[in-house]
This record gives sequence, C-alpha cells and structure tokens, in this order.
Amino acid sequence: MNYIQLRGVRKEYHGNLALAGIDLTVRAGEVMAVFGPNGAGKTTLMKTMAGITSPTEGKIVYFGDSSRDDVRKEIFFLGHKNSLYNGLTVLENISFFYRLFSGDRNGDALRRVMKEQGLWERRNDPVRELSQGTKRRLAITRGLLTDCKVYILDEPFTGLDVKWRGSMISRIKGLKGDGKAVVIATHLVEEGFDLADVIAFLHRGRLLFVREKRETTVEEINRLFDMYGERVP
Amino acid sequence: MGFLNSTIAILRKDILLELRGKETLSLMVFLSLLLLVVFNFAFDIDRENVSALAPGILWVIFAFAGILGMGRTSMAEKDDEAYLGIIFSPASIESFYLSKVLSNLLFLVVMEGVTLVFFAVLFDFEEILMAVPDLLLPLLAGTAGFSIVGTLFSFLSTASRFGEVLLPFIYLPVVVPILLGGVSSMDIVLNGEEGQGYGKWLQLLIVFDLLYLSVSLMLFRYLIEE
Repeated sequence: MNYIQLRGVRKEYHGNLALAGIDLTVRAGEVMAVFGPNGAGKTTLMKTMAGITSPTEGKIVYFGDSSRDDVRKEIFFLGHKNSLYNGLTVLENISFFYRLFSGDRNGDALRRVMKEQGLWERRNDPVRELSQGTKRRLAITRGLLTDCKVYILDEPFTGLDVKWRGSMISRIKGLKGDGKAVVIATHLVEEGFDLADVIAFLHRGRLLFVREKRETTVEEINRLFDMYGERVP
Repeated sequence: MGFLNSTIAILRKDILLELRGKETLSLMVFLSLLLLVVFNFAFDIDRENVSALAPGILWVIFAFAGILGMGRTSMAEKDDEAYLGIIFSPASIESFYLSKVLSNLLFLVVMEGVTLVFFAVLFDFEEILMAVPDLLLPLLAGTAGFSIVGTLFSFLSTASRFGEVLLPFIYLPVVVPILLGGVSSMDIVLNGEEGQGYGKWLQLLIVFDLLYLSVSLMLFRYLIEE
C-alpha cells in the first residue's frame, strides 16, 4: 500500500528553489534512505513529506486518500532537533508523549522500551543535562512507543555511538517487519544502505534517482557524494 | 486519546515545566512589582486618588507582565521544536491551543493575584482585596481574553527573528477592547454606583473573548506550519 505519494512537489523559500518537482512514493513495510550532500533539500523534503511545510506546487497524497489532511497522528517525525522539553526529566518527557498516544502514563511497554534503550537508569535526570547522543536516543525511543504508520527520521543517528546506532538500526528493521514505512535522511551511507529497501539521491532539490537497493551500490552513492559535495553535516 | 484528556495532559505538562523551571511566573511577578514601583514614583498616589488610578495601573501591569509570560511559554514549545512532538500525536491542534490558553490563563491569574496583594500593601488600599469577589468575573473574562490573543500572537512572534520585539506591537492594539472592558468594569466596582454599566462591560468582555477564541482556533493551525 502507498502510504505517502509526492506528485510534482516543488518548494520555494523566498524565491530560492528547495525542491524541484519531486515524485516519490513511500510504501508500507519499506525503508527509504534519502542521501544527498548538504543543502540538497533533504530536510525540506522530510518536512514537506510530514506536512510541516506546505509545497509551493504539487500534491501529497497520504494513505491513498487525497481528501485526508489530518494525518499527523499517524506519522512520527524526528527532525534535526529532538522535540523534547529540556526542563523536564527523561521519564516526565517520555511519560507525557506516551500518555498522548496511549492515554496511560506508566505502561509496561514504556518501562520495557526505556530499559532496552538504557534510559531507565537515567529516568530522573533533567533532559538538559543529557549528552546529545542520549537526547537523540530518548527522542527515537519516544517514536518507538507510538504506533504510527510512517516514521520520518532526519539524521536519526546524529550523536549516537556505535553500540546505540546498531541498536537503533535493529529497532528500525523491526518497524519495517511490522509493516511500517520508514524514511531516513542520513549522511551515513553504509548504515542507510544496510537499512534501506529503496534509495533516493537528492541534489539541489532534484532527485537524481530513486532505485531499489539491488539497482545501486554503496560505491555509487559514495561516488555521487564525491561528485556533488560534502556528506558530513 | 480524547480532546479533554489530551488538553489536560498538555496543561499538566505546562504546569510541571513551570514547577521545574519557575521561569514564567517569577519573571511576570518580578515585572509586575517593578511596574508597581515605577507607577508609585510616576504618580503622586495617595488615599484620595488611589481608587481612581488603580484600574488603569493594574490593567497596564497585567497586559505587560502577561506579554512577557506568554512569550516565555511559547518559547518553551519552540525550544528544541518540542511542540512537534504534540503536533505529531493524536492530540488535535485545537486541544494544543486550548491547553496553552489555559496554562497562560493560570499563570496570569496567579500573577494578578500577587500584584493585587502588593498593590494593596504598597498603596495602603486594602479595599481592593475586599472587592475581589465583585472583580472576579471581569478579571477572569479580561484575563481569558489576554490569554486567548496572547497565546496566538506569542506563537506567531516566535516564528520571526524579531518576534519578542514585535509581540507588544501586534498584541496590544488587538487587546484594546479587553483593556477597555477590564479597566471600566474595575472602575465601576471600585468607584461607581452599584451595578452601573458593570453588566455591559462584562458582556463586552465575554463577547470579545468568544470572538477572539473562534478566530484564534481557526488561525492557530496555520501558525505552526512553516
């Protein structure tokens, strides 16, 4: 099933072209990795897909129904920022968001996932005192507790060390197994390639290609990064 | 999760955030006390004229301290784009907006209560505390109006680089009817004949509250999109 379809999506910011006629389909049970150098338009694409930013032209169809516009509760969006309340503790943050989704504050699932992600021991720490990596882990864990159909993750591995990156990758694979759709924008070619079923490469707001994983290679993506610019944010 | 439950959950989170940080209320109360001291120096306030000057002084303080507080609560949502966590949840945008209106209303009422007590002490005007039962309805209606408009505009201002500077310029002209109703009804309670025009001003406050609420509920959705 097509969860998100972008048809001729174009986005301009004050006359500057950020996305130029993007056609893209995100399907259930599929992970799409979006690669591209800095300034390629990955973040704009993610925000547009999530419905935070309206396209200047073109159309986005969610869940095969062009009349639906209230779809945000079925999308988990993680941008460059972590969307956490720095003044609250780890547990207060996650309980709040968990409650919005489940109506419950202290569910077993919450405790279990927090323990799996190594956050339970730090539950009483204020978020502002956490490292960037732990904040990112908390932000992703928040998403794991939801039952959204689509996960849109912009550079989700920023700040994560190798151990937790591996853990997150296996959790994202689990989401795919549950029939969720995942879209990831990342500079980490190997990790993104490992996760993905579909690879997209963006450059200056244009899609250079959208291919099945078997139709491309890590070397080709690295070559494109070398041709078009830096990959490190 | 239903509308009411999500509104309560967000309101509860705002109160918790304030209890942890104590940033909004302390700033509002500090500014209100500072303004009281400034007004004390600016006007020659005595037992003769205090009841005539009180409504104007108090509502100006409520308006300015309120802007500061509401700006802070919006910044708490924009900081780290925390509000996106709510936007991408089963909570509706309307329940998000209403919960922010309620939390701002709560903080404003606390600030107003403290300001009234300090006003009574500073100007030796304890009659104003005696009049609180009569002042309660217009005070609540006016403060609700401040909160309804202020919540909308403080979110609008956070989208701009010069937002905090712009906020008073866009907020104050819109709340003029609220200020007018608040000052006039308080003046009637403190100085006027019993019941003289009081109901008219209270009605005006309620009508503007409902008008602003309807418009804000429609517009808030567009403010959170880029």
